[in-house]
Amino acid sequence: MIRLRNVEKVFSGKTTVHALRGVDLEIVSGEIFGIIGQSGAGKSTLIRCINMLEKPDRGEVWVDGVLMNGLSDKDLRAARKGIGMIFQHFNLLSSRTVAENIAFPLELAHVPKQQIQKKVESLADLVGLADKLQAYPGQLSGGQKQRVGIARALATEPQILLCDEATSALDPETTSSVLQLLQQINQELNLTIVLITHEMAVIQEVCDRVAVLEDGLVQEIGAVVDVFTRPQTQATQRMLQGFVTPKMPSQLATAENTLLHLTFADQQVHQPIISQMIRRYGVDANILFGKIDQMKNASFGTLFVELSGPQPQIEEAVDFLRKNQVEVEVLS
Amino acid sequence: MLWQATLETLTMVSAATIMATLVGLPLGILLATTERGHILEQALINRVLGAVVNIGRSIPFIILMVAIIPFTRKIAGTSIGTTAAIVPLTVAAIPFVARLTEGALKEVDAGVIEAAESMGASPPEIITKVLIPEALPALILAITLTAVNLIGYSAMAGAIGGGGLGDLAIRFGYQRFRGDIMLQTVIILVVLVQGIQMLGDKLAQRLYHRS
Ligand SMILES: Nc1ncnc2c1ncn2[C@@H]1O[C@H](COP(=O)(O)OP(=O)(O)OP(=O)(O)O)[C@@H](O)[C@H]1O
Ligand SMILES: [Mg+2]
Repeated sequence: MIRLRNVEKVFSGKTTVHALRGVDLEIVSGEIFGIIGQSGAGKSTLIRCINMLEKPDRGEVWVDGVLMNGLSDKDLRAARKGIGMIFQHFNLLSSRTVAENIAFPLELAHVPKQQIQKKVESLADLVGLADKLQAYPGQLSGGQKQRVGIARALATEPQILLCDEATSALDPETTSSVLQLLQQINQELNLTIVLITHEMAVIQEVCDRVAVLEDGLVQEIGAVVDVFTRPQTQATQRMLQGFVTPKMPSQLATAENTLLHLTFADQQVHQPIISQMIRRYGVDANILFGKIDQMKNASFGTLFVELSGPQPQIEEAVDFLRKNQVEVEVLS
Repeated sequence: MLWQATLETLTMVSAATIMATLVGLPLGILLATTERGHILEQALINRVLGAVVNIGRSIPFIILMVAIIPFTRKIAGTSIGTTAAIVPLTVAAIPFVARLTEGALKEVDAGVIEAAESMGASPPEIITKVLIPEALPALILAITLTAVNLIGYSAMAGAIGGGGLGDLAIRFGYQRFRGDIMLQTVIILVVLVQGIQMLGDKLAQRLYHRS
């Protein structure tokens, strides 16, 4: 478990930047935790405070019961071997082959040679690079480089993997395959993954929980479905900007009919609730806009419908929807 | 005579290159790593070292050679001859190697250093396993450049009795008007420089794996 208590970080140079202004955060073992925020929000600073690449000026960083910012240099180096990290620009050693890159942390940990070789081979298998072991990073694609980065980060069998914009330099398809790999290792190795990104889609695809960071403060934190579908703060709403919940298509609505904004949570997505409503209550439904978002553990549907018919029937229809756990907002 | 002089030049240059590298390389590593924000940040050491290196580099070789004659005598037992010439050549090349090393190490991507830190690498491990291997092609080129420069300097050392091709060119080519010997020494110097440069380039090329 990772726990941050009131973490502050100030960069003082020509101009003083208060990058973190008192961050409180708890990350549970085994989850994929996302941190999202705009450029300059402090995401990188925050994740780097977890393994002390950045030393907080105030506050406490606890990793598995160890106070990280209380460690001596030597103990910190030992603790870091239990926390893997991957980077936006991969940061591989260009003078070493893929195999030698993966072996690097094992050399640092003084693992015997034969053991290193075995471990390197199994890691290369895991990330799908068994045929590239003798290649140099300069000969690999971005996606392959990040796979090497992941294998290297996992070599010392850490409990935690920190990902600083790990997919931001990759195209959408490669991003997706790297995210799948992360999900796979999260499940197979029960690895805690902390992932920062400015891409909503990344959070949506793999994260269990998310924290929204703005101006060096956590503005909102919770399960991805909740934060994305019912954002509580303006910061989150700004950032989502209709990413999940679209704006009302007001120009489509006609004044005399009833416009509804329906939100379906997981189970209702799979049921023919609208057609049941139409048949039972004899109302007409004109669908203006609709979509289903796929989250890691949940589906989430949004629908704008216009109902026309006698008023009492419409009211009954709305009641029926609500009874079926559909969230109904009557817009007009 | 030409052969003898060539051997003397090669001896002076290779001995001075090796010794200057042995001293200059660690100094360059210290210069690079004690810089602000680097793995061994030490502002005072960095500034003092930088100043010393700058002073060393700003003294013209011909003056340095004369100025350190007592030192040369102490080390080599004499102040004339090929062995003695190695001392000022080495002293002159040390700050040069140090600066070139510093430059080569600073070219190493900060992200790669950070990745090593994130894996729990200690500063000595970062120097030996990250900085030097990653900068190796650049370091080889730096040493090549040093050797090439030392060939030029060694000709000057020859002028005060250091032996070698420079000595030969001055004594025979210039003072005795032997244009043929002058020409031959120049040709040999050109060939030496070309050869060393080619060797260095090839080695660096082979070690360079970035796309
Ligand atoms: N080493 C540093 N020295 C001075 N200022 C810094 C340093 N690192 C970060 N900052 C400042 O701290 C603030 C937060 O930076 P940080 O890199 O954490 O943002 P970020 O959310 O990761 O942004 P991005 O999405 O662009 O990577 C920024 O204003 C940045 O300029
Ligand atoms: Mg960042």
